[in-house]
Amino acid sequence: MMRKITMREALNEALFEEMERNKNTLCFGEDVGYIGGIFGVTRGLQEKFGKERVWDTPIAECTIVGAALGMAITGLVPIAEMQFADFMAVAFDEVHNKLGKWRYMHGGKFEVPVTLRLPIGISGGAGPEHSQSPQALFVHSQGLYVVIPSNPRDAKGLLKQAIRDPNPVLFFEHKKLYEVKGEVEEEEFLIPFGKAAVKKQGTDVTIVATALQVTTALEAAELLEKDNISVEVIDPRTLVPLDTDTIFESIKKTGRLVIVHEDPKRGGTGAEIAALVAEELLFDLEAPIKRVAGPDVPIAQNIHLEKYYVPSVEDIIEAVKETLD
Amino acid sequence: MALSKYDKDLLLDLYRTMLTSRRFDQELIRLLHDGKVGGFHHSGQGHEAIAAGICASLEDKDYLFYHHRGCNQQISKGISLEGIYADFLGRVDGTTGGLGSGIVHHVDPDKGILGQSGTIGESYILAAGVGYSIKYRGTDQVCVAFNGDGATAREVFHGGINWVGLYNLPVIYVIENNLLASSLHFQNSHSLKEGGSLADRADSYDVPSFVVDGNDVLAVYEVAKEAIARARNPKERRRCTLIEAMTYRYRGHFEGDSAEYMDKDVIEEWRENRDPLDNYRKKLLDSGTFNEKDLTKLEKEVDDTIKNAIAKAEASPIPGRDRIFEGLYA
Ligand SMILES: Cc1ncc(C[n+]2csc(CCOP(=O)(O)OP(=O)(O)O)c2C)c(N)n1
Repeated sequence: MMRKITMREALNEALFEEMERNKNTLCFGEDVGYIGGIFGVTRGLQEKFGKERVWDTPIAECTIVGAALGMAITGLVPIAEMQFADFMAVAFDEVHNKLGKWRYMHGGKFEVPVTLRLPIGISGGAGPEHSQSPQALFVHSQGLYVVIPSNPRDAKGLLKQAIRDPNPVLFFEHKKLYEVKGEVEEEEFLIPFGKAAVKKQGTDVTIVATALQVTTALEAAELLEKDNISVEVIDPRTLVPLDTDTIFESIKKTGRLVIVHEDPKRGGTGAEIAALVAEELLFDLEAPIKRVAGPDVPIAQNIHLEKYYVPSVEDIIEAVKETLD
Repeated sequence: MALSKYDKDLLLDLYRTMLTSRRFDQELIRLLHDGKVGGFHHSGQGHEAIAAGICASLEDKDYLFYHHRGCNQQISKGISLEGIYADFLGRVDGTTGGLGSGIVHHVDPDKGILGQSGTIGESYILAAGVGYSIKYRGTDQVCVAFNGDGATAREVFHGGINWVGLYNLPVIYVIENNLLASSLHFQNSHSLKEGGSLADRADSYDVPSFVVDGNDVLAVYEVAKEAIARARNPKERRRCTLIEAMTYRYRGHFEGDSAEYMDKDVIEEWRENRDPLDNYRKKLLDSGTFNEKDLTKLEKEVDDTIKNAIAKAEASPIPGRDRIFEGLYA
């Protein structure tokens, strides 16, 4: 049975179901307990599962992540929230050097089932340290999975998978998507990592987009349809592992690639995808690869300037048309 | 303290543990000089009494985070000697299955040995998570995290001890204070009141603490025993403890460090008059608990154990390229 719920509700359901399923699952972070998180994703959890399992930690990001690792290697399944993904910079050692490497450097003798929930994205004047999408930094790390849903159904299925996975998962949630509604079945389901979603089929140009930009890309594709340009839109859903099969197959058909993301262009998530395509499919391409991405400057806190950071429908249409010139 | 109040096996075990640690290190340095061991080794010679005294009251089920100068700690917790020699030699039968041991990452989950963070001091926060896990699961385990005085200047010390105190977790922080952090002297590393100690800091977190002579194994044993018993008991008002054990190191920060910042006379004074093994051995003999024959027998056993461990480790093969791609994800 399908119903329409927001991504916030979908994530919240995933947390409820997984906490119910395994009593060793804990949920914590700044303001996560009593008020249910500043974005409301953990609402109701503390009431239902108690303060031992769902609680407000001190404001100490390194400790939140470090403690999550300590819990994970001694039998618990921690789900921690960084209030804003930008704060991953505070806990960089704990994420990049500890979560991703603890198992490997200790001879593969531990499982590290940590899920970090990470609100990302530009959403209303939050400025350079509360608006970023830092996932590319961690695509470069080893031993981590990088998950980035674009809609309520994927968010739910992927979060449940993340919590059950025996490896550390960075789960990036775009703040502007929390309010967005979509169809989610009532029955339980999981979405495996490394399986892209083909959001729209097409034959002329392939767009690979993530998070909020999947919606923008679909809007652009619809408008391009009127000009008789057939666009295929692919949402990788997980950047690590990356479903290169689906992306490559599409490019073999279209011969053209536009990558769209909100994070800055230089060294951004699109750079890795473009490089992989260039390595494997250069002679299948009929036009240079295009990237539509955030500019390489910090995000200004002026709400009137924000629009200049976010890829627009027009930007995408222009890039697609350039590949067809 | 009169030795008569102690169990004879315990007294002998403490000596065996310290001696095994010392001999392990001496032979490791020999292997290093023979060019068989690469990477960094931070010798713990002079610090043996701390780990031996603490771990004597721990069981396999209890958890340990050791630090970069931590072979003594792992040996005291019962790690396989051939396993860590094989790590140092880069062999597949090492505890890391062939990843070796540049900066130590030996491991033995069955003995509660959870590993080491190469960025020093991180075990302050990892142990907080382990403590939370123990408390949540309701077991009587304890988590001990060893660090140096230098690492205790790191931001994570505050983060960790704040959690441990706030949630009253069964965690014991042990600081091996050897008055040096690489080339930095203790005085130039910490803002403390006149005559103050790192242990003083614990007080403001409502974490009980001790400053103890880290070269006196029985003194360490006594404070650790009390702290560990308290950590095991969920009814205790405070289950957490910080133990600052005062000591000095005999060698440079790592093998190959010329250690010009160290005063040779000071090292000599510690070696001659305050060596934890020599002094303890003398105490065992003076008290009449053991005679020279008992101790030389044990010393011979330890030497044989070390020799066998090295032989086994050296017989193990060096891994090939495939090894680096194994075990990243579960
Ligand atoms: C975060 C971090 N900073 C610096 C280093 C390099 N380093 C390794 S050990 C050490 C000195 C540590 O001193 P202390 O904690 O007192 O321990 P000791 O070596 O004296 O036993 C330094 C600077 C490191 N490994 N990690």
